[in-house]
Amino acid sequence: MMRLVLSCRVTIALTALLISLAPVHELHAQDADSVRLAELESRIEAVTRELERMQLGRDVVEADSSIQGLGPAASKVYRVNQGVSLGGYGEFLYENFAANREDGSGSGARNQADALRVVLYVGYKFNDRLLFNSEIEIEHAKESFLEFAYLDYRLTDQVGIRGGLLLAPLGLVNELHEPPIFLGTERPLTENRIIPTTWRENGIGLFGSGDAFSWRLYVMNSFNGTKFTAGGLRGGRQKGAKALAEDMGVAARFDYTGTPGLILGVSGYTGETAQGQELANQPVGGRVSIWDVHLDYKKRGWDVRGVVAGAQVSDVTAMNSLIGLEGASGIGSNMLGWYLQAGYDLLRTSASTHQLIPYLRFEKVNTQRGVAAGFSASPANDLTVTSIGAAWRPVTQVIAKLGYQIHSTAANTGVNQLNASLGWLF
Amino acid sequence: MALLTGKRVLSAAVMTIAFASPISAQSLTQDEALTLAFQDAQLERRTAFLDDEQVARASTLAGPDVEVESTVVSYYVATRGGEPVGVAYFDVHRVRTLPQVVMLVVGTDNRVGRVETVSFREPPEYRAPDGWLEQFHGRELDGELSLKGAIANITGATLTSGAVTRATRRVLALHAVIDPFGAEVHDAEAHDADAHDADAGDLTANRR
Repeated sequence: MMRLVLSCRVTIALTALLISLAPVHELHAQDADSVRLAELESRIEAVTRELERMQLGRDVVEADSSIQGLGPAASKVYRVNQGVSLGGYGEFLYENFAANREDGSGSGARNQADALRVVLYVGYKFNDRLLFNSEIEIEHAKESFLEFAYLDYRLTDQVGIRGGLLLAPLGLVNELHEPPIFLGTERPLTENRIIPTTWRENGIGLFGSGDAFSWRLYVMNSFNGTKFTAGGLRGGRQKGAKALAEDMGVAARFDYTGTPGLILGVSGYTGETAQGQELANQPVGGRVSIWDVHLDYKKRGWDVRGVVAGAQVSDVTAMNSLIGLEGASGIGSNMLGWYLQAGYDLLRTSASTHQLIPYLRFEKVNTQRGVAAGFSASPANDLTVTSIGAAWRPVTQVIAKLGYQIHSTAANTGVNQLNASLGWLF
Repeated sequence: MALLTGKRVLSAAVMTIAFASPISAQSLTQDEALTLAFQDAQLERRTAFLDDEQVARASTLAGPDVEVESTVVSYYVATRGGEPVGVAYFDVHRVRTLPQVVMLVVGTDNRVGRVETVSFREPPEYRAPDGWLEQFHGRELDGELSLKGAIANITGATLTSGAVTRATRRVLALHAVIDPFGAEVHDAEAHDADAHDADAGDLTANRR
């Protein structure tokens, strides 16, 4: 009996103890859950921060700190990850020439398929101030060139200094010559014979930009004028290869870029080109001055561009004598070319990435608009070219073009041609 | 005389290089970018964890040429006086070989409020000018937000213009799916203080 009473008391006591402890136990459990939840949230937060840091880069996410004794802002240029940047572009061109010239005589031109150019860009950014950029090109599947290679050093946010093998900053195509950028299966003749794309020479200069403009000012080795022809300045390019630098030239450019989609600008070049050659013990200058006005507008499906370019050559008689040119083969003392081109994307309103752009280009070029006394101008160098065609871009970086060119000269020697090309940029 | 002039030019060039003002760098830090966008607003860092269906919906909204792959999206909600004023997203993508980070601010009207280049590692001549980025201000996710639409290409920097345009479409699509202002708008309507924690899909954490 005694044992039963004791047992009952023990049971009651244990029950009372359990009842009294139960809320405390539940509270402790809830507290533990809250702690664990907070800890879990903290860990997830840490993981997402680390993920963000990895995605954006430590130079973006981490707080400012000093490097190399410089203030935080100045140190930042040294924190950017270094890296090699690769890119490239290229084009294949098929040309089908008419059997006859415009005067009905046989053209003698043979159709041609050409791996015109494959180009590799290589750049390296040492820090935010200093970078190297270059373009290495293989033309016609066998000829290799250094198209440009330079070092840039940024003096301020707006101004930098550039040295190396530089693209002359004239016209629209010379600096921006990737095939997907321009319409037409071939580059305009104005930017081939008067602005001799791709025109690059060794030099040094300044470049800069503001909110609504950009500019460049270079000193470069000049042309070798003894390679000029009646067909223009193209042969005078030295392309950076052991270039004669007795004569230097100055090239400058100014563009208005304040309206998205629009480039409106002027550029110019001047320099003597005889490169130290003399005629009858007298120095020859052979100064060449080139100017251009250009416009490029791309927006809402429209692709419109136009260029007017001219060139004047001094001491032409002496230059012709140096080279041994006579009659209608002499260098023009005055050259003029212009073109106007327009295209419109027929698929602009479609949801796809494809673009289909019919285009029309009209162009006139005369590389002997003026000649020296005693020389004559060849009417064959007074050209009119009308190009009509279409470009298809499946994405903005790839283009296929089909175009027909109607060539006409003042001598009725033009040969029409049908062209097809493939181009890419990456 | 000519030599003297040459020396002066050389001295001027050396002085220019030696005392050139420090460049502000092509890179902003995340803090600098957020300060530019929101100045003295309160910022809250949030992370959205998207399921496959949400990612697929964002991908459809973004369009056929825009990649939407990430299932973890961090973003920064700015408030003044308890009212949301905008949200900032940071998008990282490749331009040519190297990555670019842009900050996109979306306003409470779900339109682009600001686009800022935070980090650009390709040569600076390919970087999108500020004036060009202003084209995106006030844009919403529609057919005009495209290089075929109202956004003009950058001649000579087509890879950059394509990358920024795709990033903007991607962010607006993610924004539509995440709906970061949803809870705040409901709060304002219902005056329910507890609704601040109602965004069940998000993990929220105070940033500052």
